[in-house]
Amino acid sequence: MSAFALRTPVEGAPQADTLAVLPALQSLVPGLRRGQVVSVDGGGSLPLALAAGASAEGAWCAVVGMPECGVLAASNMGVDPGRLLLVDEPGGRWPEVVATLLGPVEVVLLRPSARPSVVEVRRLTAHARRHGAVLVVAGAWQGAYLRLRVASSLWTGLGDGHGHLRGRRVQVVAEGKGRPRAAWLWLPDPDGKVASAGLAAVEAGAEVVETGVEPGVEPGGELPAEVAG
Amino acid sequence: MSSARTLVAWCPDWPVVAVGADAATPAAVVSGGRITACTAAARESGVRRGQRLRDAQRRCPVLSVHAEDPEGEARCFEQVAAVVESFCPRVEVVRPGLCAVPARGPARYFGGEQVLADLIREAVVLRGFECAVGVADGVFAAALAARKGPAGVVVPVGEAARFLAPYPVSVLDVARTLPDLDLVGLLGRLGIRTLGEFAALPAGSVLTRFGVDGAVAHRLASGLEPRPPATRPPGEDLTAVMRLDPPVEQSEPVVFVAKSLADELHANLAARGLACVRVEVEVSTEDGRSRSRLWRHDGLLSSTAVAERVRWQLDAWRTDAPGSPDALVGGVVSLRLSPDQVVVDSGRQLALWGQATVDDRVERVATRLQAMLGHAAVTVPMFAGGRGPGEQVLRVPWGDRLEPRLSAAGPWPGRVPLPAPAVVHPSPVPAAVTDAAGQPVTVSGRCEVSSPPCRLSVDGGPALVVTGWTGPWPTLEHWWDAGLARRAARFQVTTDDGRGWLLVVDRGRWRVEAVHD
Repeated sequence: MSAFALRTPVEGAPQADTLAVLPALQSLVPGLRRGQVVSVDGGGSLPLALAAGASAEGAWCAVVGMPECGVLAASNMGVDPGRLLLVDEPGGRWPEVVATLLGPVEVVLLRPSARPSVVEVRRLTAHARRHGAVLVVAGAWQGAYLRLRVASSLWTGLGDGHGHLRGRRVQVVAEGKGRPRAAWLWLPDPDGKVASAGLAAVEAGAEVVETGVEPGVEPGGELPAEVAG
Repeated sequence: MSSARTLVAWCPDWPVVAVGADAATPAAVVSGGRITACTAAARESGVRRGQRLRDAQRRCPVLSVHAEDPEGEARCFEQVAAVVESFCPRVEVVRPGLCAVPARGPARYFGGEQVLADLIREAVVLRGFECAVGVADGVFAAALAARKGPAGVVVPVGEAARFLAPYPVSVLDVARTLPDLDLVGLLGRLGIRTLGEFAALPAGSVLTRFGVDGAVAHRLASGLEPRPPATRPPGEDLTAVMRLDPPVEQSEPVVFVAKSLADELHANLAARGLACVRVEVEVSTEDGRSRSRLWRHDGLLSSTAVAERVRWQLDAWRTDAPGSPDALVGGVVSLRLSPDQVVVDSGRQLALWGQATVDDRVERVATRLQAMLGHAAVTVPMFAGGRGPGEQVLRVPWGDRLEPRLSAAGPWPGRVPLPAPAVVHPSPVPAAVTDAAGQPVTVSGRCEVSSPPCRLSVDGGPALVVTGWTGPWPTLEHWWDAGLARRAARFQVTTDDGRGWLLVVDRGRWRVEAVHD
């Protein structure tokens, strides 16, 4: 495949160059750029939340190699279950499966069954770029445009033998080009949706204690702006 | 109209046979709470057709109950119909379990009605189905003749009325041609108990008193045919075949051939005003084996699209592991496209509103992946009813239309509350839950927790510290069905790594059903 072919979008590829993301995620990821690969580390809900915005706008999504994917949670976050393809057990053929899906399916969520080789990574990255589709990888991916990870997470709603899980407050860090950004989110909130959990929300729920913030992260990265907004 | 000689092949208790029940064990098929068919063993215990399920179970507590499956019955009966068709081409499937053929010609060919009946019965029995064959004037009399004796009888020409006379009027529903069975009860109340008595009534009076249905029943009872058998025409061979000599190793020439074959197939179908629901692609190779796969067609695939599917199929088989039985080795020697389920092409009308149309490109991708990985490997989610998160979503293979057995609308008291977990294990993962003293936490029959859970270890992994917990939420499901019965308690637990867990404890075993991650 020549370099020229990589840069030229194939015929019929839609022209809008970003896919929507949920409003709560916009401070982290303004929009999913078509043709990029996003790697997500930590948790089953973050990749689903990332795909929810595009799916709600009418994009087709596919989930490859994740038989444990909670479709109900995804649908509560905004993923349209009528536009969702599940390929639970692609086995060793996942690179082929993903390459087939990229293009007609605009967002592909992937958990590789084995550590991807450099060749596979390069080939699929080029494939995504060529077809203008977004590949969201649960796990490491060399040369990902954006890496998202959950830096800290705390569930609320459970007491000592009473209550039930209500919502989870997480700090999500996005690393890509430029400074890392961080945002506090309800992932999910008591209705199963994704909502922003800025400082105002924290003060309202005074009992919430933050734990486990990793020292390497700038917690204040983009927070003031987000709180002001 | 005098009735034509008719041969009827009857497979007793077909609905039960079709669901795969063993005739030696008591089993029954139920629809709407009533028994529609049962095995001989069940009949010995007093189970009867039309009985209510609870009455049947009272008489025969070990009765194994199956839901009615009309499509499965019809599909399974095709095998029997095919066997009968190999003797005489014009088979009418009266209903699954009973098929009729005009007997005159074949009987002359095979050397007598009794000989023909024996031949057909043996062929069906060899196929693995119990069968009885009757020959008489008309389908109704032949169906009763098939039921008489261990293997059916041959009623001589013109003897149908005399043969039918001693039967009670209740056998009229055997023909299943009567829309309402009240007639049978009414005749009973009028003191008419046998078909002979009914047939003795003047036909005109029966018509004025009981209407058209009554007249039809009267014709049946008199050994006359209500209508000639509606046979299906012998299947025209619309298959398109191409032999390749010398054998072809590469896919491209085969795909090229497939394109022209598909053109031929479509032209043949269109000339007869037909469409096929599915098309079967069969590829034979040098080693003498052939592999086939069915593709949904619905009259929608162009010949290029058919050729494309042949290419996917070849690619999928070529790339299969060399040792696997499906792997394609050697050159292709012949390619065959045959239409499956040919129907009259009545056009295709799209709904004006509310019909979800699937993007063609997505449709193609999904079908292609199914060729690569198998039909069930590509699924779409469908919401169904249930309490646990795993039960609330079904994965339906792409292209199949299934209705969930349980409605998602509920009510489902005791359903695990929102938010739904993002990780739902397809099969629960074993876990160990211990208290502060390191002892396993147990739940008593009265839902008392032995001590608060303190540590959680999943699948033998490192112990996580429990920061919060709630439960037990007992569930007692399907207690009426020994196979599905389940008594369990659910817990929600949070651990110090920021994850939430939905645990289920069932007979002292802890398992992780889902993770809030």
